[in-house]
Amino acid sequence: MASQILPLELIDRCIGSRIWVVMKGDREFTGKLLGFDDFVNMVLEDVTEYEMTPEGRKTTKLAQTLLNGNNICMLIPGSAGPEES
Amino acid sequence: MDDNTPPPPPPEENSPPPAPSSHTGSPTDFLKGVVGKRVIVRLTSGVDYQGVLSCLDGYMNIALEQTEEHVNGVVTNRYGDAFIRGNNVLYISAAEPI
Amino acid sequence: MDASSTGIQEPFDLIRLSLSERVFVKLRGDRQLSGVLHAYDGHMNLILSDVEETIMIVDVDEEVQPGAQRTVNVAKRKMDMLFVRGDGVILVSPPSRT
Repeated sequence: MASQILPLELIDRCIGSRIWVVMKGDREFTGKLLGFDDFVNMVLEDVTEYEMTPEGRKTTKLAQTLLNGNNICMLIPGSAGPEES
Repeated sequence: MDDNTPPPPPPEENSPPPAPSSHTGSPTDFLKGVVGKRVIVRLTSGVDYQGVLSCLDGYMNIALEQTEEHVNGVVTNRYGDAFIRGNNVLYISAAEPI
Repeated sequence: MDASSTGIQEPFDLIRLSLSERVFVKLRGDRQLSGVLHAYDGHMNLILSDVEETIMIVDVDEEVQPGAQRTVNVAKRKMDMLFVRGDGVILVSPPSRT
């Protein structure tokens, strides 16, 4: 029997580790995942926000943050984010 | 293969006991922790609102007190109270320890 | 001053307490309104009277001085009575409660 795993179960296993969040627009976040809900609203800690602008990449450091799930496009578990790749 | 995995219903209930602190974990816990605290609310447009979080609802509609509006790092407005419609909210970030 | 001392349990309470008062409304598309609030609903559809609308029109004159020269045109107009569709609302600020 093929093991059936739900997408959000994978994200559940990322709780406590760092995650890279790519938004629908030109914006990305990295941080330690503390939790999330059914809308994929996410609580992150030690957050870096990356804003891709024509002038280059702008970063903002944030403490504990609730990210609205509405504009999330992709989640990359265990990644340090755009700095890494 | 993989027949030794735990039964479906509660996969990871046996791991750690519930953390005693109230400010970790789910979005709901986070929000309980930040009500009454200074927060930064960033809208999808990039505009920031810094103020004291009075309350919010399930749509992420937000009531803020002593609010400053920041555009590109510059204060552009101040409001005693402000209602922010939730669909515009990108994130709510704690601006003081919770 | 916390939420319990101001009688606000949910964000819409801010709006309810502003009925018949002059409010400031920020809308998508760089529009701002100031008017007397007569009615609202859960979508944040609004009925305002005695309204002044301010539209910010920013022209960036790249050819004159690259990136530097900006002219902001502000257009204003008045309306007696206005319905505002809720999905355009970003922020509502009631008059100061002090």
